[in-house]
Amino acid sequence: MLTSRVAAALPRLLPCTRPYHKKALTNTAVKQKRSQLFTQEAQRQAALITDIEKIEVQYDGQPENCTLIMNKGMSTPYNCAQHINQMMMERSVLAEVDGQVWDMHRPLEDNCTLRFLHFRQSDPYYANKAFWRSASVMLGAVLESSFKDNLYVELCSYPSPNVRSGSFVYDVDLKIPEWEPSKEELRTLSGEMVKLSLAAHRFERLEVDASVALKMFADNRFKTQQIPQMAAQSTSGNTVVVYRIGDFVEVSRGPMMAGTSHLGKVSIVAVHPIETNEAQLFRVQGVALPRGFLLNHFAYGVLEKRAQQMNSGRLPLNISSTEPQTQASTL
Amino acid sequence: MALPKLQCITHALKNLSLLSHPDQRALVCVNQVRAMSRVKRRHTVPPFWLPKTTRTMYPEHMTPENEVFLKDVIEEKYSSPLKTECWERGTWAKNSMRCGLIGRKIGIYPMWTKDGTRLLTTLLQVSDNQVIKYIKPEDIVQGKRKRYRELGALVIGADHIDPRIVTKEYYSVFSEAGVMPKKKMSKFLITPNAKLSPGTPLYASHFQPGHYVDIAGITIDRGFQGVMKRWGFKGMPASHGVTKSHRRGGNIGSGGDKARVLLGTKMPGHMGRERRILRGLKVWRINTQHNVIWVHGPAVPGGVGSYVYIYDSVLPDHRHTQENHPPFPTCFQDEEEVEEELYDQELHTFREPSVQFVEK
Repeated sequence: MLTSRVAAALPRLLPCTRPYHKKALTNTAVKQKRSQLFTQEAQRQAALITDIEKIEVQYDGQPENCTLIMNKGMSTPYNCAQHINQMMMERSVLAEVDGQVWDMHRPLEDNCTLRFLHFRQSDPYYANKAFWRSASVMLGAVLESSFKDNLYVELCSYPSPNVRSGSFVYDVDLKIPEWEPSKEELRTLSGEMVKLSLAAHRFERLEVDASVALKMFADNRFKTQQIPQMAAQSTSGNTVVVYRIGDFVEVSRGPMMAGTSHLGKVSIVAVHPIETNEAQLFRVQGVALPRGFLLNHFAYGVLEKRAQQMNSGRLPLNISSTEPQTQASTL
Repeated sequence: MALPKLQCITHALKNLSLLSHPDQRALVCVNQVRAMSRVKRRHTVPPFWLPKTTRTMYPEHMTPENEVFLKDVIEEKYSSPLKTECWERGTWAKNSMRCGLIGRKIGIYPMWTKDGTRLLTTLLQVSDNQVIKYIKPEDIVQGKRKRYRELGALVIGADHIDPRIVTKEYYSVFSEAGVMPKKKMSKFLITPNAKLSPGTPLYASHFQPGHYVDIAGITIDRGFQGVMKRWGFKGMPASHGVTKSHRRGGNIGSGGDKARVLLGTKMPGHMGRERRILRGLKVWRINTQHNVIWVHGPAVPGGVGSYVYIYDSVLPDHRHTQENHPPFPTCFQDEEEVEEELYDQELHTFREPSVQFVEK
């Protein structure tokens, strides 16, 4: 017969008899955490610039060539476009800085030459690639937010963008043995993509240390494997690039398009199961056109039919594989 | 009262005992009571429930290679080397009703019979007719008229159009059947033994010379017409003191107790652009290569180039019998050999020697 005071002191000594509920992981909670870490890191990096230095940006293009005086490490090609023309602001998908493809919202480092890339130029190769890559990332964002809370969805990776394959792709671990989506379910996913496009989020870019990235993606077993490989291949040796749209954060290498509003007509058309040693993954496929590109329903139907075929892009590596990884699957 | 009513006349058959059995009674609608008062004849817009056929065209800036590719895709999609999926083919029985065809009036030609009589014939071209859908008897929307036999329906389409210029809603009507979208569609009531699978092509050889057809069509739009053309009034003399009333209607009332203009009084108004059915037209000739049917008379409703709906005649004198019924449920021209030109026995063909008369 112990008094309550004594009883309160005892639990530390005696084994706990009450059941201990581990808080289940949900995609919403994980997304919020990642977004917060992104904001913190962005603020930290912004605070590093104490002195505003000026750089000269030589702009070549419409309506006329000009020299812009911008802020070093803060101004982006998008800010340059804001100084030039509304059309350049809205139309530009990527920038070309000193001959190198550059994100529209990536800060400029030094004096440079600037050009803008868009979809309607004679050879929109880089713009198309960025579009396809960005569509994959947006698909990842949709997949992470569309499923019920009791399902913890883990995004795996997507292969290098290849427009000729007919579809953009994301491989995902849904933790269900099989899923054959109905037409309505695919339409719902397409609708979510359209909503993301209408929300007109920017693709915010941040170059972070591998450790920060690992902290962000600690809850994703695939990304924790991929981040060290990507960091090893970077120029500095231990940094990776992360992008954020709205509250979805993704680690990726290549340049993305300026914002989600560049996505026009989009359809998610197929889900193919992929068997791997560790997990049952699903390859979700879709096809899209940039905004402003009008196409009749018959021709678009031909594109959709083609996109339903299993994409020939590289399958995600097994996470239990012991072979040395020479090239990361996520680009 | 407002809409035109069809008077159904039960024709007295020679064999009176057959009249007692409702299934074997022939219901023939011959007279059309034209009560057109208070009916809006001119409609500038189609009904709200009809899906839009063509979509708004916009510039797509497609490369020439892509245009060629899409044309190839369309051709490949709608020209399968495989046989169309065939349902069990029914056999003709008494009181069977098979589907009709959708044709286009392409002109009027004179023809001559073997004894030298000249007659006028109307040419109707049956172009790209295909079965789109079969509606089972259970799914037919039952009207107020009681039916004495179980009837299904076949939806037939005519004249295909490019799938790229139609709306998605309209295109979806045809995607189930796997046929190219059609310009014109019509429903034909049939007995279930005459059903055809979707995608079955229909040709002019569906009919045969010597048989009779009923043709439904929209009459020529004559616009706002006066009483003389519209109702056949005699008018008044051109001279001899007649004041300002040469083509007018004259008196319009009776007076007295009926001190008003009676409902249905014939007056000037819109004339034409109405659906009319012409019964019992003989088929004189058929060309199977171009799918043209020559029917008797110049009076097929509608102008040249307008669509008409051709049915087997319901007139009791021209009903089919076991010995002389046309191919049932249709003539499968892809499977059997059909002659190019089919003539009625009484028709004089110009390849034969000329009509000879014996001089008295």
